Amino acid sequence: MEFLPPAALRYYRRNRLALVTAVSGSLYAGGWSLGYLTGFDRASAAILVLATIVGGTHIAKAARREIEARTLGIKTLVTLAAIGAIGIGAYWEAAAVVFLFSLGSYLEGRTMRKTRSALEELLEMTPDVATVRRDDTWVEVPARDVQVGEIVLVRPGEKLPVDGAVDDGESAVDQAPVTGESAPVHKRPGDEVYAGTIAQEGAIEIETTGAGEDTTLQRIIRRVEEAQEAQSPTARRIDRFASYYTPAIVALSIGAFALTRDPMLSLTLLVIGCPGALVIGPPVSVVSAIGNAARNGVLLKGGEHLERAGSIDLVAFDKTGTLTTGNTAVTSVRGFDADATSVLRLAAIAEKRSEHHLASAVLDAAGRSDADGFGTGGPSGSDGSPMTDGGLSASGDATNDLSVEDPEADPSVLADPRDAISEPIPEPDAFDVVAGKGVVAQYEAVEIVVGNRSLLVERGIDLPDAIAEHVREREERGETAVIVAREGTPLGVIAVADEVRESAPEVVAELQAAGVETAMLTGDNERTARAVADAVGIDDYRAALLPEDKQAAIRQFRDDGHVVAMVGDGINDAPSLATADVGIAMGAAGTDTAIETADVALMADDLGRIPYAVGLSKATRRNVSQNVGIAVLTVGLLLAGVLTSYVALAAGMLVHEASVLAVILNGMRLLRH
Amino acid sequence: MSQTETETTQLRVMDFDCPTCASTVERALAGLDGVEDVTVHYATGRVELTYDPDLAEPAAFERTIEQQGYTPRVA
Repeated sequence: MEFLPPAALRYYRRNRLALVTAVSGSLYAGGWSLGYLTGFDRASAAILVLATIVGGTHIAKAARREIEARTLGIKTLVTLAAIGAIGIGAYWEAAAVVFLFSLGSYLEGRTMRKTRSALEELLEMTPDVATVRRDDTWVEVPARDVQVGEIVLVRPGEKLPVDGAVDDGESAVDQAPVTGESAPVHKRPGDEVYAGTIAQEGAIEIETTGAGEDTTLQRIIRRVEEAQEAQSPTARRIDRFASYYTPAIVALSIGAFALTRDPMLSLTLLVIGCPGALVIGPPVSVVSAIGNAARNGVLLKGGEHLERAGSIDLVAFDKTGTLTTGNTAVTSVRGFDADATSVLRLAAIAEKRSEHHLASAVLDAAGRSDADGFGTGGPSGSDGSPMTDGGLSASGDATNDLSVEDPEADPSVLADPRDAISEPIPEPDAFDVVAGKGVVAQYEAVEIVVGNRSLLVERGIDLPDAIAEHVREREERGETAVIVAREGTPLGVIAVADEVRESAPEVVAELQAAGVETAMLTGDNERTARAVADAVGIDDYRAALLPEDKQAAIRQFRDDGHVVAMVGDGINDAPSLATADVGIAMGAAGTDTAIETADVALMADDLGRIPYAVGLSKATRRNVSQNVGIAVLTVGLLLAGVLTSYVALAAGMLVHEASVLAVILNGMRLLRH
Repeated sequence: MSQTETETTQLRVMDFDCPTCASTVERALAGLDGVEDVTVHYATGRVELTYDPDLAEPAAFERTIEQQGYTPRVA
């Protein structure tokens, strides 16, 4: 073939299998028809042998490579069968076996290509060139050559070539390729953006944080491929079985010939000696499912997790940031024998160095109150009284509110709270986190305790009834109330709330409808937990849990015989995620840790993907079982048919190839789940 | 032992028709000059190669895969 021009040679190579199959198929059809008409004379035999040679040469070459590699593969078996059939004068059987095998291989290659292409659209997402600012002009460079820190310009309608943070400009960005979110996300300066996403309107300049191989999309693709390549437990068991099955059938074939002297029987046994459908079925199901998930913003970390996820019967949710948005904001501050502003200020000092989500809410509130007043952007959205308005009127009342929810709130006894908080919040001198309870800080020789009741009990601080009553009221609304104490005296209560995600009740209902139990685990107190659990429709909630208690709760569920999935943010919940049968991390696109540690990572903060992922896993599990079923049934029937002489060489090959195609096509259904 | 700088590259073969085919391609590539490590994944069609650029010629990788009857693609 080397005499062909390069383009033709390339075309021939790329389409060799199709051409070979077509030619050997035509020869086979012609030879068989001629034989049928003339009674299988010499002419038809010659055509059929030619068909075998045309169709069989590439199989024989592959067989030689198998033998060189010391493996006993199907191509060796088919070659032996074809040569044997010609040897005993069974010409049309030889041609049929070769043609059917070529046709099967061609179709297998084509369908597998489709399965493998599921990731192609992701691979092609990142543009090759980037417009980058160098020496104060915009130049086009290959995207992978952009350095971290360089500014990249993206015009409306363009795909982002790098990961980075918006430096200038605003745009709606379609993040579907990375997170699977269907609605575009509005990006402003400072917001994180990902390579492969699309700027829909408005040009943006991006400060690069990652380019080339070092982007979120590339990392996701790598993880997806690794996941697809990792063998599932079923596939491992089957491979072990296959390594015994083939030699056993070859031995059976030799034994059968020794006993019966029937060469046709032995050759037929060789043809069905490769458990093709059995070996190919499970990987195709897994690859299709993982490819489908990747396109929907769900990273499944491999067949093993997928098979386990398919038997989940209990999903445990973390509360904050999972069932709720996690955007905690202060809803009210009340002072008891103290003004609200100083309560907030004390809390802010104590929480200054804390990384807890409550701390950022308190610091936000403290920071906000000196600017545009309290109550803007509160989670309730009510237009309650900004504390700066009421702050001017004095009041003799002992309780003082800063409330966004209570317009009639009694104002502070102090003058304008701006005076109290306008100066920057100082750092505490000492600071200690009591996990799951709160913080204890020292500031100018004063001890500040900010935390829940159990922290106060632990510190030996008595809680007056009025404060306890107020805390209870707040908690019954689903808010979290923390008590602020100065030198052992409780001074006030700060209530924070966090919006329940809109999709949460629907997701919980969907899971329950699918027969999956739900539970909620939270560090928050009983009453707050109950309010949120009621709102989303979860019956089983466990409140006031420390991180290790959450882990213990998961262990308890497992000991009770459940297959448990835990949904959390992947960082704070890492231990419980690891303890669960399947750890599901939300909003993983921005956090590599979550991508690394979770079994299932949801790229977007979209709870709705959970029923999808659980459903897909269950479908995959069923699909794998079906494929194993099809394959075992085929092998069993073929073996029985051959040994009872009901199935001859060509029919054996046909059924074998048909079963391989059946499992591939069945597995591919998962691409469209 | 002499220190040599190795390079890695990735190719994609989308039309493997059986798991054994992927392993025979893997062995053919491993036999090339300068190829230090090669893994061919049947499920994804991904070919990972580590080679010594002084000894190996990357164009030979694609040629070898074509000779085995499959269609390589740079990825």
